[in-house]
Amino acid sequence: MASDTVAKTRRGTELGLVLFSGMITAIAYVLASLGEESSMPARIVPFMIFVVSLVGVAHIAVRLVARGADPLLLPTAAFLHGLGYVMIARLSDRWAALQATWSLVGIAAFIATLFVVERTGDLRRYQYTSLAAGVGLLLLPMVPGVGFTSGGARIWVNIGPINFQPGEFAKILLAIFFAAYLAERRDLLWQEGRRFAGIQLPEMRHLAPILVAWGASVIVMVGQRDLGSSLLFFTLFVVMVWVATERTSFLVGGMVLFAAGAFGAYHMFSHVRTRVDIWLNPWDQYTGRGYQPIQALFSLANGGMTGTGLGLGEPGAVPAAHNDFIFAALGEELGLIGAAAILSAFVLLVGAGMRTALRAQRDFEKLLATGLTTIVAVQTFIIVGGVLRVVPLTGVTLPFMSYGGSSLVANYVLLALLIRMSDSTARGLHEVPDSPSVTERVATWRLQRAAR
Amino acid sequence: MNQRIRLLTVALIVLFAVLFVQLTTWQVIRRDGLVSDSRNNRVSLREFDARRGAIVAADGTVVAATEKIDAGNSTSRFGYQRVYPKGDLYAHITGHYTLGFGRTQIERTYNDVLVGKTAQQQLEGAGDLFSRTDTTGSVHLTIDSRIQQMAKEALGAREGSVVVVNPLTGAVLAMYSNPSYDPNLVASHNGNSVNTVMTQLQADTRKPLLANSYQERYMPGSTMKIVTTAVGFDTGFLTMKRVFANERQWLPPNTTKPIRNYGQRECGGDILEVFRRSCNIPFAQVAVEIGPSVMVDGANRFGFDERVPFDLPAPAASTFGGLAKDFSDSLALLAIHGFGQGGVQVTPLHMALITSSVANGGRMMRPFVVQQTRTQSGTPISTTSPSVWKTTMSPTTALTLSTLMKEVVRNGTATCCFRLANGVVGAAKTGTAQLNPEGEPERSHAWITAFAPADAPRVAIAVFIKGVDDEVSASTGGRLAGPIAAQVLNTALSVQK
Repeated sequence: MASDTVAKTRRGTELGLVLFSGMITAIAYVLASLGEESSMPARIVPFMIFVVSLVGVAHIAVRLVARGADPLLLPTAAFLHGLGYVMIARLSDRWAALQATWSLVGIAAFIATLFVVERTGDLRRYQYTSLAAGVGLLLLPMVPGVGFTSGGARIWVNIGPINFQPGEFAKILLAIFFAAYLAERRDLLWQEGRRFAGIQLPEMRHLAPILVAWGASVIVMVGQRDLGSSLLFFTLFVVMVWVATERTSFLVGGMVLFAAGAFGAYHMFSHVRTRVDIWLNPWDQYTGRGYQPIQALFSLANGGMTGTGLGLGEPGAVPAAHNDFIFAALGEELGLIGAAAILSAFVLLVGAGMRTALRAQRDFEKLLATGLTTIVAVQTFIIVGGVLRVVPLTGVTLPFMSYGGSSLVANYVLLALLIRMSDSTARGLHEVPDSPSVTERVATWRLQRAAR
Repeated sequence: MNQRIRLLTVALIVLFAVLFVQLTTWQVIRRDGLVSDSRNNRVSLREFDARRGAIVAADGTVVAATEKIDAGNSTSRFGYQRVYPKGDLYAHITGHYTLGFGRTQIERTYNDVLVGKTAQQQLEGAGDLFSRTDTTGSVHLTIDSRIQQMAKEALGAREGSVVVVNPLTGAVLAMYSNPSYDPNLVASHNGNSVNTVMTQLQADTRKPLLANSYQERYMPGSTMKIVTTAVGFDTGFLTMKRVFANERQWLPPNTTKPIRNYGQRECGGDILEVFRRSCNIPFAQVAVEIGPSVMVDGANRFGFDERVPFDLPAPAASTFGGLAKDFSDSLALLAIHGFGQGGVQVTPLHMALITSSVANGGRMMRPFVVQQTRTQSGTPISTTSPSVWKTTMSPTTALTLSTLMKEVVRNGTATCCFRLANGVVGAAKTGTAQLNPEGEPERSHAWITAFAPADAPRVAIAVFIKGVDDEVSASTGGRLAGPIAAQVLNTALSVQK
């Protein structure tokens, strides 16, 4: 029996995959250094120890507290994180040093989340706290003296020595709120309501908090000029309402609202018009705003099918290649094959997240897993699509890959929540024994001592 | 809800499929257009940020090299800096290698060798698949740094050119023109300062960016008499026995404007006499006697109206100033061109080649500055072997001209100021090309072209001084150009054993 249980947990699979992605990272790091300097990286041994201990510690944490979790989630994220780091290190030593620190913080946040959130179901109790904290964080950059503008968007906050983008964390908090709120009232939202022009309308008071969230996304767009995040929040809330209510009318309504919002924004705000104009006619303004997107296309074309090889391209020619445009840099040096592999890894991550949602037994966890996975998928689409000129470019980070502390830490928290939910589902389905959590063990021990 | 989640998953995968399709569009389908777009400087950027081979003079002096930038105290985003240790001395030969202003001269024409792109270099570096092996190659010049340095020093502040050629091979031993420019200033990675320097250089009317020694042409004056004399002897219109009348002026056919000798002096005698004294009228008469079509054919045998097949880019073509038809309409014009005035224009390099062909028995060699290109390991990629470009005159005529040119040095227009060291006897022809209209202050280009030793030539030279003001005139030209030629030839003879 014991061996069955061990096989079910598939921790061995995860360990193998995690070590494999660590190996890919180390090899890529060596190749980038060989390509660039024709020499082995100076600190390859410490680097490998660092990489292996980071992913190893994360794996051990999962093994300790979430051994029923999907074995694909952590290795896929580690693979993306590792390749992203190699590219950042290849572009600039300075950013690499900072990103290494953030990697440490990210893994720490991942482990902390695993330990703190013992039962994901408990999160629904913090429904309104999440809403307040989420909206608060979203509005924080607009507070004078705390928030500041960088790269045209007012999405930064400076507290003491630390700069961060609160929006990255707000999206998780809002997903928690939506999941909890919708899980509680999904029936109310469409069962009691009036009919208007043949369409069943939900009652206004049930809709109010959702409208608050929608309003927040509008504020983000208008007040902070952050189109990408605004689009992300909006998609998140439409998708979650649609999945929860199973009402196509919400989806249609959401799309109509989006179309109206987009149309209105295009006519009201010059920065929106500028973005669309760059998207449609970058070649006309090559020496100006079109420079960056066109350089990104040159980068991709330079890579071609097989890429120039790590360290052998010129990804530095694209401004902000380490950040918003890291996908172009990866496409140049790894080629279509490598870039497609990266996109496949994201599809794999999204697939594992959605499988978690499908398997989840409770509505809250189903919705939260859906929401968190949607965030990763849509954010990836927005930025990669922006680089590839599928959609207008809006500056959001590529999850796990772009340079940036807030993004990396937030995505690891998100990953930990998915792993936690995956694990609790496995326990719920008795695929792994539902052993008591750390707090429960402590509580039991105390009770036993008191009884004695 | 599960059905909706499945639908959502499908929708998200469709979004990713769109990304796949678009990625393929840019990286494969529309790749060629993007790669060849003139605004795409990926390839040149990559080259710019890499090692680049050296350009080396014949005696081993490095005249262009690449230095690794110390990343610690540098603001440049590149790892390598192109340097030209000799400043402006070789600018017109090496050219420059810049980020924003392209590359010129050898930096341009031999780029493949310098960055290591020739098939041979790629093969040599093929062993290392994953890294940037140093496959750069080097370019080895025929220029001798000692002669080149002396050419610059001898020319001093004067505007003009000095070209030294090995008459037997066509190898260019020195080629310098003033003004020049310092390629280090334009190879800098500081865009603003490069812009300023480049704007100044481009605005300079003296054209310092051009190799005036072979990319600009000038009126040759009496040095052109070498050509007229050679054509005359080759076609039989001229013999050693021919005696020209002592005349002060001569009226060519169908004009009212007489031709005069320098200083309106009376001048005449046999060819030895009129050549050493450089009378004008005899050569005008010979040109007219030879006639338009034969004279133009003769000039063309010297390579006039044709680009010199040089291994540096964009050589100018010397010109005899018209077609046979043009001269049939105006024999007066032919008469004037016969002694190097009017529309005749010659590059200093070509003048050195004309003299070289006299020294080399009538064979004009193809000039070259690149002796060899080599891979990183020193294996030759290409080696230049001498080849004949033109047969300008018969060996007998060449011998006759040598005698005439020796006489110019022994007892003629060059005697005053062209004396070689160690008793070496040279052969030369001077020239001044009058630029001022009649009655205005004298202003001329000053030329001297020579070879030495006269009986076993090893080096030939052309010195050109631009007639920028009345300081350079017909009366002073020989005194200015002669010593420069002598000084440079002395150095050349001492290093070219």
